[in-house]
Amino acid sequence: MGNTPAGRRARGSLESEVMGLLWGRSEPLTAADVQSAIGGDLAYNTVQTILIRLHEKNLVNRRKAGRGHVYWPVEDAATTAAKRMRAALADPVDRHAVLQQFAASLDEDDAATLRRLLQP
Amino acid sequence: MNVAIYLPLLLALPLTLTAGWLAARGTPGLIARGLTGSAFVAAVSSTWSLVLLALTLLDDLPPLSALDDHPTLELPEPVPGPVALIAALLLAWGAVRLVRDIHLRTSTHRRLRAAGTPQDGLVVADWSAPLAVAVPGRPGHLLVTSGILRLLDTDERRVLFAHEHAHLAHRHHRLVALTGAAAALNPLLIPVRTTVAYLVERWADEDAAAVVGDRELTAKAVARAALATVGPGPKAALGMHGGAVVNRVRALIAPSPEPRRGRLLGPSLLVAGCLGATAVATAEFVALARAWL
Repeated sequence: MGNTPAGRRARGSLESEVMGLLWGRSEPLTAADVQSAIGGDLAYNTVQTILIRLHEKNLVNRRKAGRGHVYWPVEDAATTAAKRMRAALADPVDRHAVLQQFAASLDEDDAATLRRLLQP
Repeated sequence: MNVAIYLPLLLALPLTLTAGWLAARGTPGLIARGLTGSAFVAAVSSTWSLVLLALTLLDDLPPLSALDDHPTLELPEPVPGPVALIAALLLAWGAVRLVRDIHLRTSTHRRLRAAGTPQDGLVVADWSAPLAVAVPGRPGHLLVTSGILRLLDTDERRVLFAHEHAHLAHRHHRLVALTGAAAALNPLLIPVRTTVAYLVERWADEDAAAVVGDRELTAKAVARAALATVGPGPKAALGMHGGAVVNRVRALIAPSPEPRRGRLLGPSLLVAGCLGATAVATAEFVALARAWL
């Protein structure tokens, strides 16, 4: 069903994945860290290029560390986005109109069922 | 004007009653499209029935009564005045609900779009609540919180992105908006709206599982995101009850569903019934209106 052939990624999705990773970790990462976390057949140079592009777009900060750089996300735009997102979703009724939440809230019974389902 | 005009008002009921059964079977994409199409037809035909019923009030209006060439002939005969009045009220109520529904949807989407400028199709919001939404637009983009990015590991994040991209690629917001409008016009269709909201999530889950090539990983990502919402703190989600997540995870742990077009026979018959009854009612109405004028 996926319209992305296996092994290839949609345009922009590698950048998203790198941004996701940088946000997901609490400490700054080197290009090598990013490469090993994302894994697959990703070349070091590709990771380097993406990080430089993201830095040029002012989406990530970097500072020298050893022979290379470490990278971490710029927070300004994300703080603003959070404020606006929070406001847009402030009214619970509005949230119903929002498309696609990745996951719905659970009650304790549902949570227990989920934990059981995930037990091997 | 008798059975045919009332029939479309009731034909939403069998759709409502079978939607849940259908949702548990077959491929989510097929069923979601089928249910959306039939809910749309059911809503339009029931609204048209209400319009026809309400129009029979016209022969009671003083200016029109004065013009009446045949005072003995009342516009569509077997519709009692109170029924026509109730139809007019339902119609007005439906219109108010529809306008409110459309306004809410467009304003929420506009505000979410304004949250930030997407870079490579992504806006990150630095917020601990584990949230991710697909924001429709041209092109659409993802709006995710730092909370959900920190919650998931690299592989699970890939599931999340694939899931949200599936929503955008298949334009799920259109199905959701159409069933929302249908449910606004005809509240009997509210369960169908809920079912379609669930089905587009299932659909995106199946897509994500195909993209990452791992159903179990997909199930884990969905479950983990849902479990993070348990207890105090911001509730991630909405638009559906928690039980739906349990069903999604169950479905992902099970083998992928087989496409069976036969499942849509019921909704198709219903659509045919709605269209037939609407055509008959309209023809009867036109014939009576001609005679009356």
